[in-house]
Amino acid sequence: MSDKPRLMIVDDEPIVGKRLKRLFEKEGFAVETFTRGSAAIDELKKKHFDIVITDLMMGVVDGMKVLEFAKANCPDIRVIIITGFGKKETAAEACHKGAFAFIIKPFKIDELREIVRRACSALRKPPTG
Amino acid sequence: MNLKIWHKMIIGISIPALITLIGGFFTYAYINDVKLRHGFVEIADDLRERVLEVRRNEKNFLLHKTDEYYRYSKDATDTLNKSLNNISPEIVAQAGNDEFLLLRDSLRTYSDLIHALLKNYRQEDLSVEKVREEGRKLEAFVKAENHDRELSPNFVLDLRRLEKNYMLFRDKTSFDRLNDALAGFNNLAPFCLYCVQYTTAINNLISVYNKITGMENDLQGIGNTLEETTDRIARSERQKVNAFFSSTQRLLLIALILLCTFGPLLVYQTASYIVTPIKRLADITRKISQGDMTLRAPIKEHDETYTLAVSFNRMLDHLQLTRSSLEKSLELLHEKHVEVEKRASLGFLVSGVAHELNNPLNNISLTAETMKEDLNELSAEELKEHIQDIISQSERAKHIIEDLLDFAGARKSTAMEKTDIINVLAESINLVANQLKVSHIHLKKDIHKTPVFIRGNQSKLEEIFVNIMVNAIHAMKGSGDLSICAGPDGQGKFITVEISDTGCGIPGKDLKNIFEPFYTTKQSGGGTGLGLAVTHSLVEKHSGDINVRSKVGEGTTFTVRFPLYEETD
Repeated sequence: MSDKPRLMIVDDEPIVGKRLKRLFEKEGFAVETFTRGSAAIDELKKKHFDIVITDLMMGVVDGMKVLEFAKANCPDIRVIIITGFGKKETAAEACHKGAFAFIIKPFKIDELREIVRRACSALRKPPTG
Repeated sequence: MNLKIWHKMIIGISIPALITLIGGFFTYAYINDVKLRHGFVEIADDLRERVLEVRRNEKNFLLHKTDEYYRYSKDATDTLNKSLNNISPEIVAQAGNDEFLLLRDSLRTYSDLIHALLKNYRQEDLSVEKVREEGRKLEAFVKAENHDRELSPNFVLDLRRLEKNYMLFRDKTSFDRLNDALAGFNNLAPFCLYCVQYTTAINNLISVYNKITGMENDLQGIGNTLEETTDRIARSERQKVNAFFSSTQRLLLIALILLCTFGPLLVYQTASYIVTPIKRLADITRKISQGDMTLRAPIKEHDETYTLAVSFNRMLDHLQLTRSSLEKSLELLHEKHVEVEKRASLGFLVSGVAHELNNPLNNISLTAETMKEDLNELSAEELKEHIQDIISQSERAKHIIEDLLDFAGARKSTAMEKTDIINVLAESINLVANQLKVSHIHLKKDIHKTPVFIRGNQSKLEEIFVNIMVNAIHAMKGSGDLSICAGPDGQGKFITVEISDTGCGIPGKDLKNIFEPFYTTKQSGGGTGLGLAVTHSLVEKHSGDINVRSKVGEGTTFTVRFPLYEETD
């Protein structure tokens, strides 16, 4: 098992998964992408992830459920929420449930990269890359 | 004729009254005439009676030949004459002048004749006495025998017997015998003075008798004339009266038939003449009250109904004008309602679509940034893939915006055309897809796979479905199932679209008002209250129907039905 920090990306938009996987692999993460919340939760049950980047609106099992499960499963996990629906209530709810950050689509790569870096340093386990 | 109703009524009443009046006048005149005629008959009868009286006295006079009977006879003729003179000239003229003239002349002659006859009777008496005297002288002479031998007393006695017989019978036989005997007598004693005197006396008597007989015959002839004339007058008067009665009877019968035939006809004509314009007006008002505002009361007569019809028509003009302007306002208002509702739906949809738009935008910017950063590292293949992603995501964004614009009415067509309702339903679902996602609503679809055509307008139909679905999303407040079933019915006449939610449901008391404008169960700010009213009217414009059933706490189902497209449409 590699010592690279493990990053999970959940978004029903496959393009988001593809682009972020390439980006964060370059950053030195071990990246896995999912387009469905349920599949992501199943994977979380099996493996440990350090950081989860999840979309909020995704059909039946949405980002909020992924956040809840991830935090319940592993309190140390850093969950970053990205969403096209930038509602204050949702952001507040996500923070309340332990989200590390709340990013609104469309976002800048640098912005996300910065947040992920901060999450990573918060883990005190800098990525190797 | 332009008569007022009250003129018509007066005419209607006057005509029968006039007819009755004329009838009455004629009857009065007839009765008068009848009375007059009856008077004639009475007078004629009276005259006849008098004449008969005259004849009776005439017979007596001729029989007895005395002064006394002459007086009776004269009295009777005088009475008759007086009666004749008493008849008024008008009646004489009416009954015929000639007859009366004849009557008068005859009576005058008759009167003279009676008088003459009386004188002759006296003459007769004298002659008879003379014959008897001469007879006695002759008898005495023959007895004294101072006569010719041939002249015997028997012969004279025989002669005297013949003389008595003649005086008694006065007929031809006794006259002939006397005459023969006298001829013989004269031959026997041609120069006997007594014989000559006796013969002369007898001849004188014969001539008196002859004269009297002639006069008596004349008198009887005139008497007959009198009788016949009065008879004729009486008969003719009676005939005239009878003819008059039968003609009157005929006239009355004709009048009765005419009255029976034309009376009711006249009454009917008058009544209908009065009632027709009123009836016409009533008919037209009934038709107008049934909804045909284009009708107008006919203006034909210049009676009271004319004013009524004119005022009525003017009122109708005003009414129609007001109604059409009201209809226009209503239409305008309705259009505004539709617009308002559409904007409300649009506003709701935009919030969903705007967020939806963030996804392709994000994909584009993410891909573009990646390309910028890793331009040198990317293989040509990867680069192409990136560009392709940008293109496809731009397309996606374009579609999202197009859908919204379509719904907002960028597509102006309001034409009713052959439209695939399955496609419309899919587009409508697309429009609310984001809201479903945001509201955590799970969509269950059971929609007919192949196109189903109806006659309709795409954007209006979209509006119907979006409105119902938006309503359902609101009702479910955050989570639930939205089920959409669509498919043609068994007979292939209708397509039924059923949209069910698992929302709060609608109480029975609200259910019946749900399609009323401005009726809303949402809290203030939740909705315009127009959505379902507009939906209802749009469905009706598509000749369809919409029904709702609901159970509080379980959910609501809207069922919309449209007739399938027919080629003959």
